[in-house]
Amino acid sequence: MINKALLTRVLEKALSTGADFAEVYVERTKENNIAMIDSKVDSATDKLISGVGMRIFLKPRCVTASCTSLVEEDLLACAGRLADALDGVPDNRTVRLQERLFGDIHPIRVVPGDASLKTKTDLLKEGYFAAKNYHQDISQVRANLLDVDHQILIANSDGLYAQDRQIRTRMTVTAFASKGGEKQSGTCSPGRRMGLELFDMISPKSIGEKAARQALTMLSAGYIQAGRMPVAIENGFGGVIFHEACGHSLEASSVAPGQSQFCGKLGQQIANPKRTALDDGTIPNAWGSVNIDDEGTPAQRKVLIENGILKSYMVDKLNGRRMGMESTGSSRRQSYLFDPTSRMTNTFIANGPDRNEDIISSIEYGLYAKAMGGGSVNPVTGAFNFSVNEGYMIRNGKICEPVRGASLIGKGSEILMDIDMIGNNLETAQGMCGASSGSIPTEVGQPLIRVASITVGGR
Amino acid sequence: MKYTEFKERVMAAAASRGLTEYELYAQEKENISAETLNHEISAFSSGNVTGACFRCVSRGKLGYASTELYTPSEAERVVEAAMENAACLETEGEAFLHGPGDTYTKVEAGTVTEPTASQLTGLAMQIEEAAYAADLKVADGSQSGAVFYRNQIYLSNSRGLDLTHENAYTMAYSSPIAKEGEEMFSGFYSVGGDFAGLDPQSIAQKGVEDAVSQIGARILPTGTYDVMFSNHMTAALLRVYANIFSAEAAQKGMSPLAGKEGEPVAAPCVTLTDDPFCGESLVRVPFDGEGVATSRRDVVKEGRLVTLLYNLAAAHKAGVASTGNGVKAGYAAPVSIQPHNFYLQKGGGGATEEMYEKLGDGVYITELNGMHAGANPVTGDFSLASAGFLIEKGKKTGPVKGFTVSGNFYQLLQDIALVGDDWELRPPMRGGSCFGGPSFIVRGMSVGGK
Repeated sequence: MINKALLTRVLEKALSTGADFAEVYVERTKENNIAMIDSKVDSATDKLISGVGMRIFLKPRCVTASCTSLVEEDLLACAGRLADALDGVPDNRTVRLQERLFGDIHPIRVVPGDASLKTKTDLLKEGYFAAKNYHQDISQVRANLLDVDHQILIANSDGLYAQDRQIRTRMTVTAFASKGGEKQSGTCSPGRRMGLELFDMISPKSIGEKAARQALTMLSAGYIQAGRMPVAIENGFGGVIFHEACGHSLEASSVAPGQSQFCGKLGQQIANPKRTALDDGTIPNAWGSVNIDDEGTPAQRKVLIENGILKSYMVDKLNGRRMGMESTGSSRRQSYLFDPTSRMTNTFIANGPDRNEDIISSIEYGLYAKAMGGGSVNPVTGAFNFSVNEGYMIRNGKICEPVRGASLIGKGSEILMDIDMIGNNLETAQGMCGASSGSIPTEVGQPLIRVASITVGGR
Repeated sequence: MKYTEFKERVMAAAASRGLTEYELYAQEKENISAETLNHEISAFSSGNVTGACFRCVSRGKLGYASTELYTPSEAERVVEAAMENAACLETEGEAFLHGPGDTYTKVEAGTVTEPTASQLTGLAMQIEEAAYAADLKVADGSQSGAVFYRNQIYLSNSRGLDLTHENAYTMAYSSPIAKEGEEMFSGFYSVGGDFAGLDPQSIAQKGVEDAVSQIGARILPTGTYDVMFSNHMTAALLRVYANIFSAEAAQKGMSPLAGKEGEPVAAPCVTLTDDPFCGESLVRVPFDGEGVATSRRDVVKEGRLVTLLYNLAAAHKAGVASTGNGVKAGYAAPVSIQPHNFYLQKGGGGATEEMYEKLGDGVYITELNGMHAGANPVTGDFSLASAGFLIEKGKKTGPVKGFTVSGNFYQLLQDIALVGDDWELRPPMRGGSCFGGPSFIVRGMSVGGK
């Protein structure tokens, strides 16, 4: 994308006012998105994102700049803008870049960019019509197929020169069911760090059917009554509870500035002893995996919480300086326009000792949250929320009628202790996580769990 | 190469492939930001991004392709890709480019002071120090910042349109943390405008008040409450539910407002207005993403739906004229339908404190979280994590947190009992539309707490 000689000159220019570290991140991303609504292919767009993000550090201070142009003159001007923000003493450091190959553990069989639009629209239609034709009450369906080919190059003043190419594919089907003026929706949106071979593993038909089934179930559901109650949260996207209630507060971007409920808690019991949680960026072809992070550090498998004890934070280089810790390969950014910071990759609660049937039968009156929507958290206070897309009441240990409109809220440090049963059917699901460094693909996961008591919003 | 040269190459490439209707929409964005942490500037950032989106009508269908790389080969590629993308579409009769002839309202740019880097870092530091000085409970971890934005749009097409528009403003914020014992409380306040007019003292004061006022918050018991939504929450709800006023959503069965023009859809105290030229807004636009002249209009007047919002395609389908609401969320995005500056008009309920009196006993909601997940823009259902204050006998008493407020937005519109006069328009998020209004009261809402 940019040759080594020019990258070296840019890094040296960036260092010229006394910075102790300089980094250049070059990106070239091709994104294709095909969308359907009203049973027709409604839009097809493709875009090329191309640009450079630069950073310099002086101790814990950070200056960043970005530009779209890849022309030498503009890149050196951008590096000059960076340098101008510091007024330290230049030590005329020279940079010697040395390429490092970290390997690629994510084989891609069908690169989406090389597939014809027809191949892709056929796959999308299969998913679309599986939902549309599922039942007469399915009144509308919206679906899209997104593929991203994200190439990155990172060079820094320590001599690192590394590249990665990340290909991701995702299909989303949202079905709307209507009857007698009522309308409810259901969604299914699996994705992988894979090419179109994803759909050999997960058929588009199953995606459409799942979305339609959820919309229909919710159409016949009444509103849940608000209150505090025990909740059983199913595997897969249920893992969003750990992502929100705990994961964000373990990111160095919250911990380093003292904005996390878990500051200074390493080695302490913060969760129920049954509980082990990981952030693993090394799972082959998983949605949130990276070979190297956006600072060029290889991805790691990190045990965050082991048997309830806090073992590790997720750390990037800049916040690592503030905390006196090494990077854990957790630095991520949406694109060159965003400043990278510590983020999650594939984060999940490991299987526990309880039998799934025992979890359900232990609840006299409560909620079974079969499918979760998204959520959010304030890492400072730990106050989190997330919505339930498909829920059922549990009465006398049995799953009963579906209920709509439920949301779960609480405080991270408290819910970690209140998760008191952990099943053994670990499964993961995909999402896009938004934070200061932009929207990035992350995976969440867990087995079926029980929260002893939590506030459920409803009517 | 520069944009003007790139544009010429793209237009030539389009003509040489026999296209007769095509358009190039480009955006140049610049931002400079400074952020503090623990009494120091911790981050300084500057960014420039340029990108262009090519659209063409090919065999009656509208194809898109965009790029950030202005090179001769990309000029050729976007044209080819857009034609190829058009070919796979199945929607017909929806491809239009706008021609000349509109009268564009001249948008007053106002004063724009472009701050230097040291002025921005200076402002961020002033807010930071003012926040620490405002209350002894303000602790490390507090941050402040200032950001300057400039955004320029270019739109040129084969029908002869050649438009450009620029806007620029500075945003400043205070994001303090207050500590009481082991517990932390986060506050936030942001304001935008001309750099010269931003007052660090008042920004810090409001941020700190937001944090400190939450100290000692109790969890609200589950039950039914009369609720007053703060003016900021009015803006937040309109932001999530603006799409229900889109004619495209209505035509595709995604909004129950289809065919309801002239009918009551809200309480008589509700008037909702879209004003692209709103004097209080940071983003005033003379034309939309398709080059159609924008104009001010009431969407709901005294509870009755006046009109939905249209872009060219939805207007053609309905046999009406575009309302100038064809909006692109970034240069690369397809044209969708959004209001520009959308707000609830004042309703005569008085200032915030007078509204407390009119509420009597109830909850004043100042925070709604998880809107992207807990509020469904199609069904209207919402169940949202909330925080705010108890109002007892017309007076604001203690802070409350840890509860949800639930309902349905369509029903909520009809249930609004009173609209206040504490009107405010909130700054745009990521350069998008602005939303605002005064506080309002709804009786008997469902709350889930302890």
